[in-house]
Amino acid sequence: MKFALFVGCKIPSRLPAYEISTRAVLGRLGVSLVDLDFTCCGYPARNISRDAFVLAAARNLALAERAGLDVLTPCKCCFGNLRHAIRFLGEDEALRSRVEKALATEGLAWSGHTEVHHLLPLLARKVGIDKVTASVRLPQTGMRVAAQYGCHALRPSNVTRFDNPMAPTIFEKLIRATGAVAINWPRRLDCCGDPLHEANGPLSERITLAKLADARQSGATTICTACPHCHLRMDAVLAGSTSASAETGTEIKTLLYPQLLGLAMGLAPEALGM
Amino acid sequence: MTPALFRIALYGSLAICLLGLLWRVSTWFHLRVGPDACNVTVFQRLITAVRGAVSVTFSRGLVHVLRAFFVDVVFQNRLFAREKLRWLGHQLILTGFTGLVLVHALASVLAGKLSPGYQPTLDPYMFLRNLAGVMVFVGIAMVFAGRRRQQTGFPQSRRPIDAIFVALLGTILVSGFLLEAHKIASPRAFYRMTDQFIGTTDPEELKPLRALWASEFGVAFDDMGDGIEPAVIAEGRELHGDACASCHAKPTSAFISYTAAKVLAPLSGALDEARADTWLLYLHLFACFIGLALLPFSRFFHAVADPVSLLVNGAAREREFSSAGRASRRALALDACVHCGLCDSSCSVGPLARHLGNPALLPSHKIVATGAHARRRLLSHGIGPDALLVSEGAFQCTDCGRCTTRCPVGLDLADLWEAGRGDLAIAGLPAPSQWVQARSAFAWAESLDSRSTPDAPSAPLASDRRTFSHCVQCQTCTNVCPVVAHSIDTEHGVDLTPQKVMNLLRLGMLDLTLGSRMVWDCATCYQCQENCPEGVRVTDVMCELRGLAYHRLGSVRNPGGPS
Repeated sequence: MKFALFVGCKIPSRLPAYEISTRAVLGRLGVSLVDLDFTCCGYPARNISRDAFVLAAARNLALAERAGLDVLTPCKCCFGNLRHAIRFLGEDEALRSRVEKALATEGLAWSGHTEVHHLLPLLARKVGIDKVTASVRLPQTGMRVAAQYGCHALRPSNVTRFDNPMAPTIFEKLIRATGAVAINWPRRLDCCGDPLHEANGPLSERITLAKLADARQSGATTICTACPHCHLRMDAVLAGSTSASAETGTEIKTLLYPQLLGLAMGLAPEALGM
Repeated sequence: MTPALFRIALYGSLAICLLGLLWRVSTWFHLRVGPDACNVTVFQRLITAVRGAVSVTFSRGLVHVLRAFFVDVVFQNRLFAREKLRWLGHQLILTGFTGLVLVHALASVLAGKLSPGYQPTLDPYMFLRNLAGVMVFVGIAMVFAGRRRQQTGFPQSRRPIDAIFVALLGTILVSGFLLEAHKIASPRAFYRMTDQFIGTTDPEELKPLRALWASEFGVAFDDMGDGIEPAVIAEGRELHGDACASCHAKPTSAFISYTAAKVLAPLSGALDEARADTWLLYLHLFACFIGLALLPFSRFFHAVADPVSLLVNGAAREREFSSAGRASRRALALDACVHCGLCDSSCSVGPLARHLGNPALLPSHKIVATGAHARRRLLSHGIGPDALLVSEGAFQCTDCGRCTTRCPVGLDLADLWEAGRGDLAIAGLPAPSQWVQARSAFAWAESLDSRSTPDAPSAPLASDRRTFSHCVQCQTCTNVCPVVAHSIDTEHGVDLTPQKVMNLLRLGMLDLTLGSRMVWDCATCYQCQENCPEGVRVTDVMCELRGLAYHRLGSVRNPGGPS
């Protein structure tokens, strides 16, 4: 299995451990990764221009197609955005021809043959839960983990095709594969608060705090993430806000899924960017 | 040139250069980039810099600084790692230029002292001078070639003074070679020397020497005739040995000038008549003096700022910077940027910049804008179209950090962008979500009424009634919305609910939704869209409304003044 790894913008600058640990566990599972000259997925431009965001995404899809590879991204916002772009290109002929024209100026073209995968479904379905389970050497028993699903991968389900949007199980299955306990928590499908952090800081923090409090009240010791936006947002609120520690206690921490899996595989924490 | 004129010109240009350097360096301590830079005084910044320099000198940090000096400044490791061609070009320019300054410009001071028998017309000086000149030429060509390979679709930001400086460099090199070539070929120069050292200018008497110098030293006599006998040349060689050889090597080692002398040979009589030696010398020297005086004001000031910046980076490896230190470092970065464009070619939002037609998204343009804002030039006439483009560029940056990673002079651009965004927000140019929410949805709708709006971007969902006509106002969208659920106060809560936004669209009151908090505070979590029993694409519509608002509200945002 070979994919073009799309790390996006946030991971290399703010969360390099996510890329390190992703490469480490996928290497163990026999998934090879290729680096292409990717640029922004277009997600941030969605607020200012539909054409601009679709074009930015399409450029990356075209690069992957030229290399004959499907895209794998660990970022749920990049994932969702690339999938949205594919949908918009499919349903809007006029948009598609505008985008094709713009791509042609760079000598690129996209005929629609690029698949976009997120890390979690790739592990659960392409690699397979059994193979993931078989790779575990040090089961992380005793760890009580809350799965943070992340909106942009889960919804809208007809675009992302991630899992059942009302009752997903993919993340919990992957957590159980590591030997850890996947706890049930009411707010597991809720927004992490990150997207409105700039527009409305106080409201954003309220949303994040509610999630953190819920995870703790549900008995979690760890919130497991698979998106840099969710992860960084929860870390920032955990670290920065005094009210956060008052409401949620300090014992809860965040962990990236490939770090959890890597630890279970017996990889050294340093090899996982920890 | 009279010694007095030479001295006045030299000391005059030196004085301008020094004052210019002083002024440029002073900006590192008083230009303010970033809101936190306003909390520290110039004095604090100076003290911090001095204290930092002293403490690094007497600590383990010195190792890092020394390493930075050899690896980053002398070897230019960062450029080597990214662009071999430009690295080679840059090293050629640097070595050639340093060579010319040491062996040629400062010859009377340096070479004359170090080697008592120094003469500019002896080897290896003649050869080295030509070699160094060629190195600078080839280096400049390679840097330009490397630059051409990095087209981003936008012209590089250039100032006239930088073009003037490059032209001056070219003038210095070309006039230098031409002057040397002319002196090689010139009969007039030959007779001036024989008059001084042999005591005669009689062509017949000097015939053997002339024969030798015509055949082996490239002097273009027009009265030599053909068929010089070897015996005459042998006689000339004897005289040459007595009178000339101690100061003159064969000019063939001046390989460029000698070739040029051969080409100019037919003209040398006319050039002698026109006193080419005098005006070429004037041209050469005055180009040098003007170049010296302009140096601090041109982009080539990076020759000073870059080493300082790289050494500071070396020192920064082991310490956190205080806000005073950060403030100075940002101001220094404005000078240290070479505008090489390496950042632009790797910019994550480069394709967006091209699509939006806005170069202000690209790092090399952003740093110019940041500098202009710090020097109070960006908003000197209020918030104009250029400032709006700058703001768009600043807030579309995704902070991917590639520019910082790839910068060949190691500038902390990520810090600069964050600081710049802070300044823009204070100056009335904040992120879209901020300026939109500075007015109410109703106020925006009213200002839209009073003005025609330009071509809006395509919004196929929001402009198509079929998108929301089947909305039954069941409020499911509102009930599942986390933003609505957490809106527990009026200050930070939303004004409309998703279902009300859909209803306004159904009623054809799209303008009223554009500035609404609900549209701009939407977390795009897609709960509404996923849960809508009628399949209305609520979140997709919200995103489209933001795009529409960005353009339509943007057009009525600043009728000539700050918002």
